[in-house]
Amino acid sequence: MTTLTREIVGVSLEVRGIEVNYDGVAAVQGVDLTLSPGEIVGLIGPNGAGKSSLTNAIAGDIRVKSGVIRIGERDVTRMAAYKRARLGMSRTSQTARVFGAMTVFEGLVTSVRGNSGASLATTLRVGSARVSEAAAAEKAWELLDHLGLQHIANNFGNELSGGQRRSIDLAMAVIREPSILLLDEPMVGVAPALVPALLNEVRTIADRGAGVLIVEHALDVIASLCHRVIVMAAGAVIANGTYQEITENEEVRRAYLS
Amino acid sequence: MQDFVSISLVYLGIYALSAWSLNLQFGYAGIINFGWIVFQSIGAYFAAVTSLGPVTSHSYQSYIFGSSLSFPLPLIIGTLAGAVLAAILGFIVLTRKIRSDFVAVIMLVVAIISLQVVVANVSLFNGANGLSGIPQPFNGVLHLSRSGYQWFYVGWMAVICVIVYFGIEWLCRSSWGRSLRAMREDEVLATHLGINVQFLRLVVFVIGGGLAAFSGALLVEFLGAWSPDAWSFVETFVVFVAVYIGGRGNNRGAFLGALLVPVIFGVFPSFLPAFGYPGLSSTLQWVVIALLWLVTFYFRPAGILPEGRLIVQRQGLPDVSSMFRRGRQGKEKAMQSEGR
Amino acid sequence: MNIYIEGIGFGVIAAASILLGAMGFTLQFGLTNVLNIGYGALMTFGAFSCYLLHVWGVNVWVSVALAGMATSLLTLLVAKTILTVYVRRGAALFEMAMITFGVALILENGLAALTRSNTYILNMGLEHAHTLGPIRFTTTQLILVILAVSVFILLDTFLNLTKVGKALRATAVDPDLARTSGIATNRIVTIAWLISGFLCGMAGAVFTIDIFTVNAFTGDSLMPLVIVAALMGKAGSVRGAVFASLVLGIVTQVVSIAGASSYDSVVAYGALAIALLANPKLLQGGLVAERVQITV
Repeated sequence: MTTLTREIVGVSLEVRGIEVNYDGVAAVQGVDLTLSPGEIVGLIGPNGAGKSSLTNAIAGDIRVKSGVIRIGERDVTRMAAYKRARLGMSRTSQTARVFGAMTVFEGLVTSVRGNSGASLATTLRVGSARVSEAAAAEKAWELLDHLGLQHIANNFGNELSGGQRRSIDLAMAVIREPSILLLDEPMVGVAPALVPALLNEVRTIADRGAGVLIVEHALDVIASLCHRVIVMAAGAVIANGTYQEITENEEVRRAYLS
Repeated sequence: MQDFVSISLVYLGIYALSAWSLNLQFGYAGIINFGWIVFQSIGAYFAAVTSLGPVTSHSYQSYIFGSSLSFPLPLIIGTLAGAVLAAILGFIVLTRKIRSDFVAVIMLVVAIISLQVVVANVSLFNGANGLSGIPQPFNGVLHLSRSGYQWFYVGWMAVICVIVYFGIEWLCRSSWGRSLRAMREDEVLATHLGINVQFLRLVVFVIGGGLAAFSGALLVEFLGAWSPDAWSFVETFVVFVAVYIGGRGNNRGAFLGALLVPVIFGVFPSFLPAFGYPGLSSTLQWVVIALLWLVTFYFRPAGILPEGRLIVQRQGLPDVSSMFRRGRQGKEKAMQSEGR
Repeated sequence: MNIYIEGIGFGVIAAASILLGAMGFTLQFGLTNVLNIGYGALMTFGAFSCYLLHVWGVNVWVSVALAGMATSLLTLLVAKTILTVYVRRGAALFEMAMITFGVALILENGLAALTRSNTYILNMGLEHAHTLGPIRFTTTQLILVILAVSVFILLDTFLNLTKVGKALRATAVDPDLARTSGIATNRIVTIAWLISGFLCGMAGAVFTIDIFTVNAFTGDSLMPLVIVAALMGKAGSVRGAVFASLVLGIVTQVVSIAGASSYDSVVAYGALAIALLANPKLLQGGLVAERVQITV
């Protein structure tokens, strides 16, 4: 890793009593969740259980009807998504978002925290902007190397295959060196040869102090990666424990695993 | 004969600034400003009233804010007027989730309402007759002939265009320009990366609006007059077509569009001897522009000079910073780009 | 007070042409999601057709119907040849709006070139004026209003009570679902274009009879109010379009009579802008997707 890497500040994520409504239908009802620094927590459950809704609510993409979301000491319940991102939250999307008419490399370089040129002021500081641009480029190449994806660096987002899109979506989230990483089905459609490298990135991020919440259907990914697993069904949490514990849980078996 | 060359070149400069302003708002940031002409107009009007002098009982036209400010204040004030208008409109319209063609309609409606208000309210900018007799900058000082002054203005426009071009290119190639394109491509993803999309959109709109107003101020100082005839939707349409044909998201493309469309089809025919009945050529040029638009959009929707792709190459770890070094040497060594 | 009632009377008459145009526009917009800015040019075509037929001796009311038919054919031609081409190329919604504007430029300026930008007078002859309280109107104006109302009733019945009409409404709401449930959406779209083109042509013809002049840009003076009425009345809703047309017609005429005639359309546009800003969903009706709804 380069010397320019910042240490990830470990903050915890705390979610209490979250309720999310879509057009009057309760997608999430009264969910509590905590994520400690360095923890990888899996979120599983049948379709429609509210997993993505919960993730969206935590990220700030949708509003909660009631409840509290805290990052560290800060109450971010009413905070806009971009502000939460600046506080150190990163996420991937269920639909593997990439920038269609920008190259993979550009997307990665934009994702590096502090380098998105989000304000003219940052851009105008020509000297330091140049330095951060070079550092971001270096990070991007390193990550592409780790993932073995250097060959697509100059591809447009809309030229990528489905699996590549998902990998790059994850790469853009990871390159931000987040304190809290939310992954929504990050391995769907990814070539099996690529999966270990991606999982490795997630583990590395967690080792450096980030808390990771991963929504997945692939139970082998959950088993190999997660310290703890939360099971949701019909908008509520029905189990919370190690992988071993929840696979032995009767209710979970009935709702999901059978 | 020489006249129409110099006048065409001035118009080229004006339309280049117009195309760059629209390209910034639309090509880079994806804002569909169908009311673009309002910004050029407000720049023209404010530059006019601040150089015409105060309204007296002898004045044959009426307007607000009359004063006789010397160069370059009317230009600056005109530009600021456009920026302020963009800030206000942007705040009202752009900070909501409205589908893009409705945004276009709203901006168009704003343009139409503004036109009607100005026409109806003579005390604002002299209504339908518009303003005239606007002093041309430096004319008293330089003592040039009419065609001499036109060529002077060509030089003036050239200087401005060069400065603006480099300024806009620098902006668009910076990380700020990249975040614009990110916002255009996928707004939600941009949010996830910490980009404040709403604020960014507003800033782009204001810069584009200011630049459009600047072009209007420059134009009114050249023409000496400005009236509501100059700002119907077709003017906005022409600039959009220019940007589309030349190439969206590409400032050289925008310049090319500025060259092709308004100058060749707008300005040149008005100097040709009239054929058919009077007014036929100005009617037909709309048909030509519309055909050009339809044909180009069919065969080359990205425009003649499309946005292009930034290609990067690894040169070995220690020299990574050369990748983004400006200047030809650094560029050739570390980075090739297509069409940029 | 009387002068305002007079304004209401004029408003109702003005609403007749707005109404016909708005019904046609809302059908197109509701079905395809495309803002057809070329609609004004098509109305001009209807106006001119009616004028020409009348000059050639055809009874004026027959001319209106024939103008409607001619315009419906032209509309179908434009839709199936020009618009389809660009939709297939993947044009975005506002690009389609610009395409329709381009088509309008060609049609109207072509017409202007042919007619040397002349304005022609549609001579209805001297007419007897009737009175209804403070409102004065001619027989022609009365017929215009009755015509508009009848067409609305026919259209409403068609849409709500006939099989084809219901299929049309279903296709407008969800074309994919309509297709999979067996509706021949291609034929429905053709029918929709024909009907809306017919209404469009009639609107132009009726408008020109009301203002008794016609030139290459006649439709453009009617089009803004038509679009505002159609959008305010909720996309795809014919009844909404009618109600909005009535309100717009009356409001613009009353404002005009109250002395602020130059602001009459400002009121209309302002209302539209405010409505779009306040609650755009209101106007979208069933349309949420930001893409062309159906292969036209």
